[in-house]
Amino acid sequence: MSETSQLSGLDADASRQSDSSDPGLCNRSLRENVRKKVDAETQFRLSLKYLSEVEAGTVVKGNDQLERNLVVVESVALSRGLSPEAISILLDFALSLRVGGNICLRVLKFLIPATIVTQDAVVRGVSWLCVGKMPMSAQVLFVRWVLTVFDLVDCKDQLRDIYGFIFSFVTDENLCPYICHLLYLLTMKEHVKPYRVKKLLDVQAKMGRQPFLSQLLALYKVFCPELVVVSLPSRMKIGFKNHNSPWKSALAAVQRKNRGEVLTDQSLVLAVKEKPTSRKRKLHHLEIPPLSSAFHSSSSNRKVFRLEQLSSFSQLLENLHNIELPAQMGSLLSSSLALHYLDCVQDESASLRLNFWLGDSLHQEFLFGPADGSSEASGEASHFLSMLLSTQHFLQEGFSSTESFLYKFLSVWDGSLFRPQILGLLSDIPLVPSSCIKTLLFEPLMQLYFTSTVFFKCSVIECLNIMLVKWLTWHSVSASEDSLDISLNSTSAMSMTLSGFMDSVMELVRFVGRLATVGLQLENCHALLLCHALNFYETVCDMFLKYSLPLFVMPPVGVFYPALFAVDSVTVDQLGYIMARYRKNLTLAKKQEQQKQQTFHVRGNTYKEFNQLLVTMVSCLWNSKMFLPGMGMEIGEDLLAQSSVPEFWNSFDLIHHPAFLSYAIEFHQKCWPERRDVDLNSIKVGKYRNWYMEFLLNQGFDGLKEFVQVNINQRSISSGSQGDGQPVSQT
Amino acid sequence: MEGRGSAVKTPASRIVKRRSKSYGRSCVEPPSQFWYTPGQLTIVRIPTSREAAKSRNITEKVDPEKVALLVKNEWKLSHVTPLYRFRHTQLKQYSRHLSAFIMAEKQQGVAVEVGPETTFKVTFSTVLGLAETEEDAETVFIQIHSKPMFAAAGDVPKVVWSGWLTCVNGDPEYLRSLPPDFVSLPLFCTNGPEALTTLVKSWLERTFDCNCRSLILNSTILNWLAVLWTGCHPTTDIRYLKLDWTLPTDPSLDISYRLSPQDVWELWNSIHQEDSADDTVSLEEVNRFMTGLESHFFRHFRIYLSAGTLMKVSTSLGSAHHNGKIKIACSNYIPTVLTLLTECAILRMPI
Repeated sequence: MSETSQLSGLDADASRQSDSSDPGLCNRSLRENVRKKVDAETQFRLSLKYLSEVEAGTVVKGNDQLERNLVVVESVALSRGLSPEAISILLDFALSLRVGGNICLRVLKFLIPATIVTQDAVVRGVSWLCVGKMPMSAQVLFVRWVLTVFDLVDCKDQLRDIYGFIFSFVTDENLCPYICHLLYLLTMKEHVKPYRVKKLLDVQAKMGRQPFLSQLLALYKVFCPELVVVSLPSRMKIGFKNHNSPWKSALAAVQRKNRGEVLTDQSLVLAVKEKPTSRKRKLHHLEIPPLSSAFHSSSSNRKVFRLEQLSSFSQLLENLHNIELPAQMGSLLSSSLALHYLDCVQDESASLRLNFWLGDSLHQEFLFGPADGSSEASGEASHFLSMLLSTQHFLQEGFSSTESFLYKFLSVWDGSLFRPQILGLLSDIPLVPSSCIKTLLFEPLMQLYFTSTVFFKCSVIECLNIMLVKWLTWHSVSASEDSLDISLNSTSAMSMTLSGFMDSVMELVRFVGRLATVGLQLENCHALLLCHALNFYETVCDMFLKYSLPLFVMPPVGVFYPALFAVDSVTVDQLGYIMARYRKNLTLAKKQEQQKQQTFHVRGNTYKEFNQLLVTMVSCLWNSKMFLPGMGMEIGEDLLAQSSVPEFWNSFDLIHHPAFLSYAIEFHQKCWPERRDVDLNSIKVGKYRNWYMEFLLNQGFDGLKEFVQVNINQRSISSGSQGDGQPVSQT
Repeated sequence: MEGRGSAVKTPASRIVKRRSKSYGRSCVEPPSQFWYTPGQLTIVRIPTSREAAKSRNITEKVDPEKVALLVKNEWKLSHVTPLYRFRHTQLKQYSRHLSAFIMAEKQQGVAVEVGPETTFKVTFSTVLGLAETEEDAETVFIQIHSKPMFAAAGDVPKVVWSGWLTCVNGDPEYLRSLPPDFVSLPLFCTNGPEALTTLVKSWLERTFDCNCRSLILNSTILNWLAVLWTGCHPTTDIRYLKLDWTLPTDPSLDISYRLSPQDVWELWNSIHQEDSADDTVSLEEVNRFMTGLESHFFRHFRIYLSAGTLMKVSTSLGSAHHNGKIKIACSNYIPTVLTLLTECAILRMPI
């Protein structure tokens, strides 16, 4: 159906109308359409045959036969496009000028390919061009047509073979812009020759500074930087104009019909080079250099691929083995494709070059440079840092120059300048040996931490948490891929024993413990700070299970008790989760130790510490035995009496705990809607207690739920009797 | 509570690498000397003592013509990160390329062929003999000649810009740690129009993937220079020691403090213990010398010079300005001064 409608729109409409009314009529019109189509096909073939056989010198004026055949072919071409053979025949017919220049132009204008254009046709066209009889307008139109259909030409190797012939037309003033564009599309390294450079420079001397010449010469420079130098002004228009105007709409229409998609404009679009940084600022410390070929490139015959030519990921994959590094390694940071490549670069010099550039830029801007506080400069700086941060995240590794910069910068940082970026970069720091972690990291951080707001404290702890996660991840990967580590250069990858690694982690965990303890005191147990501290311990408690690092560090009391007595239920819930995970980790460690699977040994002290915290937590939340002797935490009796809190042992159980009080009251109201005075102790009686526990744990307190499941045995839950926090046995 | 939670028996076979791949040298590598000292901005330690200046007839080692070039001008200092794939054997090629580069930059958008002579002629040459140690790379001297627009046939191109890259007594540990692909010539001295300096710098940056930045001479360096030059007095008459300070008043107060050579020499002689074996000067002695000068000034004018910034030090042997401009007037002390400046430039290396 669609075929017919393409042939004659009116008929198709008629048949579509008849579709609904009468099946017989429909059939008849279908048959008619098919017949018409066959007729048109034959007609077209005959016309084509006629045109191919037209002899040179045929009279054009008043030649109805010629005119009729041309119209047939033209209408088919504009509606359906032409087959590769038809293109070939018509191109030959037109360029041979058998019927004169005007017809030639007319034919060129309707040469719309339906699918592809054979290379042969284009090569023959170029040979007609070389004959030199065509009028200038026809020559220009032909080259423009080649540019328009360039992406449809099936292959280009023969075209590249006749590069020299095409090149010879650059001296023609009218053709030059189009020839330059065509050459730009065809040029390979082997085409760049000193005499061609000379010729182009001669043309440049004659025609002045022209974008198309500069563009072609710039490409020559990419291939042979030792032959030609060109610097494109920042505001110059780069790229070539589109020359497809006579064919654009018809081509698009035909392609839409034939393939259901529009040919994307693949020719280089005229664009103004982007220049994000203002020219006002004199010192561009932070400008990423543009990609350009190395001057001292290996001049051997080895086929190399320049990063400037890289435009797609598949291209990167195909050429991965022979990509040449750019003149300035820093330029790799400018494109995401280049970053993919950077990830595979295994050249020590290359990474050193990158680090020299990066380190120097950072030092100059943030350490040595004169502070100019303009908003523009700080915008540029923060943009640069963000770029660096996202690059490092992409590579999943920090640069060593960033690391060394940060150590220096921390000692002069005020804690607010570019805080998100600096803390982000800080969390990327690879493992620091325990011997120098204090001076490099902890001391400057501590000073900032204690003199800043609670929000800064939160972000420091968050940053250290991310750092710990990265260290642990790195450990679990490198420990399992022991042999995979083909250390690129024995000097750069530092060897470290497992115990060295554990020492560093230990230092970090202890440090955060101190920060959190003192910070919580200073900030009056700020809920947000507490949350961040607990997030950190969520990482710490799972080090064995998640990262197979046999290291167990309990949270300090300064974190544990504020969390246990917190007024918001989320914190208590989080603490429950952490304690449950500690238990799981310790239990597994114990099991492995007993089975002698592991070579590590967990000290008894660790179990003791954990059990003490666990007993406190269970007796406080579950057993309502707070502050009673033997229940983990004890307070002098006279002090308790002074506080004059009745039944103080009750005050932090799951019913009376300030964090859960609202739930208890809600439960109470649901159970006894008629009761005016609230007696929470009545919840403790009999089945109500179980119902309450069910009610409470279904409020989304998954951490608490896990805590109860792991630590309180089921019998005590179901019987409603006093549970016991089964401690992990000590041996 | 915070006691070490567990003890670990480390299996001897299980070695953990710090990272699986590395983007550069680790800066916390134990065997190397490049270790961080807290509160210090570089990986190389700032030396606390150095050799006293010794007069040496440098023209015995270095071509006198070249020496004359170095002595003649005032130089603006920069520091340069190590040059990647710089070859002393390819200076001719660099000359051609730089001159084409300058032309191309001058006429934006016009391509320039590398090779034929342009209005700017560049020459690269080595100054053999300036290097003091095995590790020092030979100094490279660059000159840019320009033909006047409407030159007569016999006109000789004029030198419009000159500069040199050098390394004298560079920290051997640092230089040795660089891979063979790199040549470290950390100190870059330039003289000529700013625009050309910028062009040459950007050419260096693009060609050898390095970074050039202006070098600021801080007061420590200037103090050292003042002392080293003063120490020369018995051998070579320094004629005067002039120190320029800027005090942070409103409007700022510039003080020029000119001392007679005999006085400063006596002051220095009273401070400096000369141990005959190796004549070294310690940082402590330098500080005492400067404090002495400052307190003398305070006694007369009741102004604390230490509150201000030392901007310039000059003697008849040479001068050095805070903004990184130096002049070496006496060729005999070139190595001493360059050693100090090379060290200053290496201290600025990011890694």
